[in-house]
Amino acid sequence: MSLSKKSTVIVENLRKKQMREAISAGKRLDERSLDEIRPIEIELGVIKKANGSAWVKLGNTEVVAGVKVETGEPFEGLENSGAMIITAEVLPIASPHIEPGPPDEETIELARVVDRGVRESEMLDLKKLVLVPGKIVYTIFVDCSVINVDGNLLDATSYAVVSALASCKLPVFEIKNDKVVDTGKTQEPPITTLPVSITTVKIGDYLISDPTTEEEACMDARLTITTNSKGSIVAMQKGLKGSFSIDDVKSIADKAITKGEGIRGKLKGMINTG
Amino acid sequence: MVQSRSLIDESGKRTDGRVIDELREVKINVGIVKNADGSALIEFGKNRIIAAVYGPREVHPKHMALSDRGVVRCRYHMSPFSTDTRKSPAPSRRETEISKVIREALEPALILEDYPRAAIDIFIEVLQADGGSRCAGISAASVALADAGINMRDMVSACAAGKVDDKIVVDINDTEDKEGGADMPVAYMPNLKKITLLQLDGELNPNEFNTCLEEAVRGCLKVYEIQRSSLMEKYFGDEKGMKEE
Amino acid sequence: MQEVKRKYVIPGDIVAEGNMRPLVNVFKNGNSIVATRIGITESNQDGAKVIPLSGIYFPRANDIVIGKILDHSSLSWSVDINSCFAAHLPAQDIFGRDFSPAHDDMGRQLSTGDVIAARIAIFDRTRDPILTIQDKDLGKIPTGELIKISPTRVPRLIGKRGSMIQTIEQASSTRITIGQNGIIVVSGKDKEGTTLAINAIHMVEVEAHTSNLTQRIKQLLNVPESEIESDDAQTNESNETTNQDEINSNNNDKEMGMINSNGSK
Repeated sequence: MSLSKKSTVIVENLRKKQMREAISAGKRLDERSLDEIRPIEIELGVIKKANGSAWVKLGNTEVVAGVKVETGEPFEGLENSGAMIITAEVLPIASPHIEPGPPDEETIELARVVDRGVRESEMLDLKKLVLVPGKIVYTIFVDCSVINVDGNLLDATSYAVVSALASCKLPVFEIKNDKVVDTGKTQEPPITTLPVSITTVKIGDYLISDPTTEEEACMDARLTITTNSKGSIVAMQKGLKGSFSIDDVKSIADKAITKGEGIRGKLKGMINTG
Repeated sequence: MVQSRSLIDESGKRTDGRVIDELREVKINVGIVKNADGSALIEFGKNRIIAAVYGPREVHPKHMALSDRGVVRCRYHMSPFSTDTRKSPAPSRRETEISKVIREALEPALILEDYPRAAIDIFIEVLQADGGSRCAGISAASVALADAGINMRDMVSACAAGKVDDKIVVDINDTEDKEGGADMPVAYMPNLKKITLLQLDGELNPNEFNTCLEEAVRGCLKVYEIQRSSLMEKYFGDEKGMKEE
Repeated sequence: MQEVKRKYVIPGDIVAEGNMRPLVNVFKNGNSIVATRIGITESNQDGAKVIPLSGIYFPRANDIVIGKILDHSSLSWSVDINSCFAAHLPAQDIFGRDFSPAHDDMGRQLSTGDVIAARIAIFDRTRDPILTIQDKDLGKIPTGELIKISPTRVPRLIGKRGSMIQTIEQASSTRITIGQNGIIVVSGKDKEGTTLAINAIHMVEVEAHTSNLTQRIKQLLNVPESEIESDDAQTNESNETTNQDEINSNNNDKEMGMINSNGSK
């Protein structure tokens, strides 16, 4: 059951006034333009015990993603595919407003939206990750821990998952005498595309991309769009209690494609040199 | 536990190349979580652990508040990718027990009478574990508490010692923990000279126990030096720490 | 001649030995005075203490704070004062003793998100702080840029008898309202002055414990050489600045647009 809640973050009216004045002049409080994404920093391979990992900073929002590869049964109905499972947890260290406990509806939505973007883009060619069709497949876990919250967890978590997967080294498993054996060798993951998610929110009459915590406290509606390398849209999610006009949605989609291409280039560059 | 294979070679080197009285490399980065009131990232060998403190702050739920002193909440939690085999995100019994012993290792140092009706929340997040994570977590938490400005009687420094190949060694790594003869984590308040955490897994005769305890305390004091220099560096840009005018 | 020895300490370090009086952020252990916080020590014939460099704001009765209205019940507003406890401003403080929710509209006076300068009228170990806005220069702050610094740096920002903050205000043509809780509102006529003031405030925050800070601040603000006096890193008044200093350092008060009990400005 889902229940509307009181907002935990209340922004001072002074700041809201400053924000509105700045936005109507085309700039935000941190000097960014309305559709500008914050600087992205990525450190790869931070968790040596994981098969792949990435520590992503999107402005002050920080997320760590770790890839662990095992073998197991395929999902029902997907007997000829490897299995991929993406989870996310917003750690209680990340913000004063978090209570430790089982994931709440926002955290579950976060994990599922990020998963959808990666899965529907077919970033990983799961058909190549089968050992015994219908019985034993590679199981790829990507688990995310949010370390510090300053808005836009959806995009930061997505960039962490994509970076960790694109840079991971998969073990090479074999079947010997009916048992799964880790040969000790590694292989490159079968990557087909880099999905990029861009989140835009509505504040008053304006559309703002990559919001900070303060901006999120003033937003009415949110739209996350994930695109693939071909510029096609593979996943979308609208959130919060407000609404968008049809023109808003079209404009956000256009931006997601163009901005997404820019971020894709950046991610590619960082993953290749990292 | 009786060992199945030797863990120290003929030249006295352990599985990770150390000698018996050598600690792994320790680095502490203070203030790494911007939203927290105090925080520290510790790298202790291959352990990579963040401790963050929020406090004093309101107690939720309100009925848990104490009228004459602060309450301490402590959560030790491992990320699924932190261990050799992926760990399920749900809290395990081991994490619950470790959360408790860590809280009891830090509480003696906190002057809780200064914070009636408030809570001090301590969160220890293990991003990568490699033996001795609770000791590393306690050491990081102590730095995070100081960074948060919580009134403390002393710092708390922690280190484990144990028995490997019938020798007493300091700072047990993951392999030694799993296959060695004994593992004894210790937390210590270095100025008040008091022990606040003491556990044992394995078998030690009285002599071995005494030596092991001394080695662990010696390890704690080494960790204390690094806690001090990391705090001095962040606050004063000065590792020596004593400035007299 | 006062003997003031200063040391950098972390919790557990010895501040002073011998028969000294423990003051703040220390405790006595046998013959030693021991630090309980990270900070700079100060010992003289009055006793030994540590001036802390970290820590959130812990309320003190009579402190001036800047808070933000969160909500209201039928009898009071709840106010976020950037501390571990939410504070409360009783409706009676504005409406008077014969306040009644039936004919007095609380939401009209102060609504969620409004920023106020208030004094902590009552605070003890048994309950949340109670605020008042009845004194001069208190009440709603309608405009200005709001910034946050560590509350431990506020005494340094105010300076001896308000000297540091006045220097910044005059050089940048701004009006700066400082709360002991680390919240500051800067009001200037133009963006340039406001930005200059904010840069100066951030420099004080980062370098509060260093010496010759006043000189460097004046350089940042382009204040002429002749007006620079030497100034020590910490003063004895650092923990004891008066409430008046904090908000009323400039005698030529500019319009602040605040409300008081009879609604006049």
